[in-house]
Amino acid sequence: MSPILIGPLTVAGLSTVLALVIAVLDKFLNNYGILKIDINGGKKSLDVKGGSALLGTLAAENIFVPSACGGRGSCGACKCKVLTDIGPHLPTELPFLSPAEMAANVHLACQVKVRQNLAIELPEELFSVKKFAASVERIRDLTYDIKEIRFALAGEKIEFSPGQYVQLVVPPYGDIRESVQRAYSMSSRPSDSKYVELLVRLVPGGIATTWTHKFLKEGDRVELVGPFGEFGVRDTPATMLCVAGGSGMAPFKSILYHMQETGDWAEKEIWYFFGARTAKDMFYLDELRALSEAWPKFHFVPALSEPKPEENWTGETGLITDVLDRYIKEKIGKTKPLEGYLCGSPGMINACINVMKKNGVTEDKIYYDKFA
Amino acid sequence: MKNAPKELRAHDMMLPGVLTAQGFLGMDERPVGDIIAEDETEFAELKLDFDAVADKLAYLRDSGEAGLGEPVTVRDIDAMRDPPRALLVQTGDARGMLPCPYGDGLYHKNGVSVRSADMPPGTCVEGEDMLVFSDLSIHLLREHHFCQGRGSPFRLDASLIAKLLFS
Repeated sequence: MSPILIGPLTVAGLSTVLALVIAVLDKFLNNYGILKIDINGGKKSLDVKGGSALLGTLAAENIFVPSACGGRGSCGACKCKVLTDIGPHLPTELPFLSPAEMAANVHLACQVKVRQNLAIELPEELFSVKKFAASVERIRDLTYDIKEIRFALAGEKIEFSPGQYVQLVVPPYGDIRESVQRAYSMSSRPSDSKYVELLVRLVPGGIATTWTHKFLKEGDRVELVGPFGEFGVRDTPATMLCVAGGSGMAPFKSILYHMQETGDWAEKEIWYFFGARTAKDMFYLDELRALSEAWPKFHFVPALSEPKPEENWTGETGLITDVLDRYIKEKIGKTKPLEGYLCGSPGMINACINVMKKNGVTEDKIYYDKFA
Repeated sequence: MKNAPKELRAHDMMLPGVLTAQGFLGMDERPVGDIIAEDETEFAELKLDFDAVADKLAYLRDSGEAGLGEPVTVRDIDAMRDPPRALLVQTGDARGMLPCPYGDGLYHKNGVSVRSADMPPGTCVEGEDMLVFSDLSIHLLREHHFCQGRGSPFRLDASLIAKLLFS
């Protein structure tokens, strides 16, 4: 054999042997066998194959903890309490956990590896979360950047409270090589239980919204996971102050039409403030105005922040927070009990909370699902 | 160009599916060091300064927050231009935080889009006449001169920056 070949062949041979040793060791050392996960003090007990992340292990057992980043530890949504001592929190978990959460052994399920029997706590409502197969029945443009998408569930019904959300499973497409999930509030009514309707606004650079706007077609098959969330109408006599913008319309559409259908609207006074930039960004105006004519205690207040002269807008103008403030002071009054319902970006939610607090609404009476 | 070890490590973190599903490189197959070197050359040719661009993007992000999730018209701070340039800025949030691929910081997940206010809604094409960026994009631009690879939705293309923000 040529002496020139001896060196490279020796290195190649050693590398092969080392790779084999690593593969064999991995098979034995990382084989955790079948482990037990106890959930909520024995309410559920799972026998699972060890070695994977808790988030994926639970999902394989049809227990779906919300997650928006696919288990990369960058969304902080998949929090759960781990009662078993699994050692200190990972550095990847720290940005998402408050000192109180860390003291209470809250972890990110995507960052916890199942290497031993575990006892965990999860919100009970997650037990009723399911994965639904569905097909796209209809896609309708509401504005140039918001689509209304109606999904028909494949032989199943979904039970949910108006205000809750589902996670839409986005398959790999284009340059996106893996599936991701994103949360969207349902705009359909619970009684329409064979269908789910979502309002999706195109976000530049957004994976899920780009897919729904540019790739998804009527007839396509998709998966939905849900329902999730605690947002919904409280059973109180207080006047509701609802505020939304853009696709934040979705939960309020579900809530309002559900109240109309069940007769819950008879006693409750509701003010619904909906903000957009120009008339081109507004939608459902006719439907909601018709609803307010049929329902004397429902007041719909659409407002434009930058109306164009040619649009001849005669409604309210200004930022939705300014309109809200003005109405509380001049029309609604602060003497009656008020409660806030918000759906929008964190910036919008924080701004509305400030306005409501300044007008006497206490923070425990302001409800929202902060998606971001 | 030979890449430094820190660029090789960053490159691995920038691949799709590591920190984000899309990654930071788009369809670009050039090494990170080459992407940076070529963008530095283009910035210099267009007389763009990385810090000045990062400052302007941060200003636009902050101005866009006033829209509370809706687009808002922002008059450019460039007082030399008459009439002032009108830009339509939309600042939105996503859930969570993203680490810098170079390992020097953690940034709130958000998305800012900037386009000319004169363009009709729905006609803008990302990367051609609309800039899309985040807090992490601003950091990568300022600290690492990294504008992201060609085809990345968050690429800060020098010629688009010059046309939209400095022309």
